[in-house]
Amino acid sequence: MSEVTQRDAFFDRLYELARADSDIVIVAADMSAPALDKFRRDMSAQFVNVGIAEQNAILIASGLAIAGKKVFAYAIAPFITLRCLEQIRVENGIMNIPITIVGMGTGLSYDSDGPTHHLIEDIAVLRAFPNVEIDSISDTVMAAAYAELSCDKKLTNYIRLDKDLYPTIYNPDYDFSQGIAQVESGSENIVIATGPMVHVARQIINSPQFEDSDIGLVDVFQIPINESVLLDMIDGAKRVITLEEHFLPGGLGSAVCEVLNDNGVSVGVKRLGLDINAGYKHCYKYGGREIIRSCHGIDKSSLEQVFAEHFCPQTESVTV
Amino acid sequence: MDGLIEKLQDKSHQIRKEMLKMCIGAGKGHVTSCFSCVDVLVALYYGDLLRCDPQDPDWPDRDRFVLSKGQASPALYTILADLGFYDKSELKKFNKSGGMFAVHLQKDVPGVEITAGSLGQGYGVAAGIALGAKMNMELYNVYALLGDGECYEGSIWETAMFAAHNKLNNLITIIDRNYLCVTDFTENLIALEPFEDKWLSFGFNVVRVDGHCFEEIMCALKPLRSRTCDRPTVVIADTVKGQGTESLCYQPLWHGRAPSGEIADRCLAELDRRYQNV
Repeated sequence: MSEVTQRDAFFDRLYELARADSDIVIVAADMSAPALDKFRRDMSAQFVNVGIAEQNAILIASGLAIAGKKVFAYAIAPFITLRCLEQIRVENGIMNIPITIVGMGTGLSYDSDGPTHHLIEDIAVLRAFPNVEIDSISDTVMAAAYAELSCDKKLTNYIRLDKDLYPTIYNPDYDFSQGIAQVESGSENIVIATGPMVHVARQIINSPQFEDSDIGLVDVFQIPINESVLLDMIDGAKRVITLEEHFLPGGLGSAVCEVLNDNGVSVGVKRLGLDINAGYKHCYKYGGREIIRSCHGIDKSSLEQVFAEHFCPQTESVTV
Repeated sequence: MDGLIEKLQDKSHQIRKEMLKMCIGAGKGHVTSCFSCVDVLVALYYGDLLRCDPQDPDWPDRDRFVLSKGQASPALYTILADLGFYDKSELKKFNKSGGMFAVHLQKDVPGVEITAGSLGQGYGVAAGIALGAKMNMELYNVYALLGDGECYEGSIWETAMFAAHNKLNNLITIIDRNYLCVTDFTENLIALEPFEDKWLSFGFNVVRVDGHCFEEIMCALKPLRSRTCDRPTVVIADTVKGQGTESLCYQPLWHGRAPSGEIADRCLAELDRRYQNV
C-alpha cells in the first residue's frame, strides 16, 4: 500500500519541478494539502489562491497561461470541472489555451459527503470537448509522472485524483506516454478499467478463485483513448468487461465501445459502472465507498460473481 | 490636445461608417453595441494609449486589449483593418464564405487577443494576463472592455474581487455603460446603479466619463500608464447604444441586428449629418 495519496505524490513532484522552473504556477480555489502547504510556504510567488471561485480559477489560470505560465488549476473535482464547464469550453476547448486542471476526489472518493461531492459524470462530459485530455490516475507513480508530463502538454489536461490510498501498480521508471497499460496479462478475457476500479479488478483477478483463469487487465488512464494500442492489447480477446466508478452513459465503457465499433472489432463487451437509472439515490448510502458500489453491483463481491459468469461460464455459481 | 481630439473625431466617424457598411453588407452584426463603444476604441487605438504594432501583432511588449463584450467585434475588426493588421478587403467578406471573421470575436484574427462571445469570461482571462505580466516583471497594460449588461454575469465580480485584492494596477477595466440590454434598459431589468459604488466597494479606483467625449476618455486613461494608483482602475464610460444614428438609439430591440433597406440608408445619412454638426 502506498503511504501517500495520489494528491501528495502529484504535488510533491510538482514542488520539485517548480523549484527549478519559476513559470510553474498553482491556482488553487482555497484548497490545502500537506504537499501544497509546503509549495505555498516556499514558493509563495508561484501560488495563487483565488478563494472559493472555481470559474475564476479557470479564467485566471488561462490568462496566466497566455502570459507564458505553466498553470495548474486545483480544487475539489466536481467544482473545478462541472461548475466551470463553459469556461473550460471557451478558454481551453475553443481557444486551446493549455492549462492543467487538477480535480481532487473523483468518483465516489468523498463517499460520506453525498452527491454534490461525488464526481461520476466528468469523463462523459469532458471528453465531449476537443483540446481537453482526461488523465484518470490510478496510482501514485502515475500521479507523480503526470505532474511532469503536464508541464509540456500543448493542450489542456484534466488530472483525476482519487482520495484513497492504494497499492502501487507501476515501477518508478514506467513510461506513461501511451496513455494505456496492460496491468495483468491475459488474452481471452480482458477487463478494461480506469482509476480506482483498476485496483478492484486487479485484486479479483489475482485472487485464488481466478488464478487459473485467462483474464487480462488494461488500465486506460488517458482519454481520448490511444486506439491502436488498445486494439493491440485486446487483439484476439473473446470477452471484454469495462469497469468504472462513473455513470455508464458516455464514460469509459462508451469510449471503449466507440473505438471497437469504429475499427470494426466485434467482441462482446459488458459495461460495468454506475447505473444512471438509479439516479443519485445511492449516493446517500453511508458507511463507505464499497456500500455505494454494491448498490450498483460494482463492489468486489458482486464483481467476482460477474467476472465468473462472464469470463468463466463453466464455473458454477453458488446456488442456494 | 486640440489637434488630436479633431483627429479622433474624424477617425470615429470613419470607423462608424465603415463598420455600419460592413454590417449592412453582411446583414449581420451588433451594430448598436459597436456604436456605443467606438469612441472608446478609437481613443485607445488612435489616441496613443494602447501600444501595438500592426506589422508585428504578437509583439511581446504590446498592450493587451481584451474585448470581453465580444459582440462588438465589428468595431474592433474595422479598426484593426484600418491600422493595417490585415487588408481592408477583409471587411467586405464579413460573415461571408472565405472571410476571416463574423459576428463574435475570434482569437486567430491578427491583433485580437481572445475569443469572446460568452459574456463574463474575457475579463477573468484579462486579469490572469495582468497577473502574469506582474509575475514576469513586464510593463504592458491590459485593457479590458466590458459591456454593462455583461456585469450581470457573476464571474465578473469574482474577477473584480481578485483584481482588487491582487492590486492589478496594470489591468484597466473600461465599461461600456450604454444602459441597454437585449430586451430592456438595465435599470428596468435589474438595476446596476449605484454602479460606481459597487466597483468602489470592491476596491477599485473608479472614474466615470462621458464615453463619447474624447477629452474625458483621454484624461481618464492617459495617466494610468504611470501606475498612478496601486489599485486597478475601472473607467465607467456612459454611452448611448446606437450613438451616431438617431434611428437606432434607445430601442432595445435593435440589439444584435444590422439595419437594412431604407433604414440602413437613413442610418448612413444620420451618421454624415451628425459628423457635419460636430
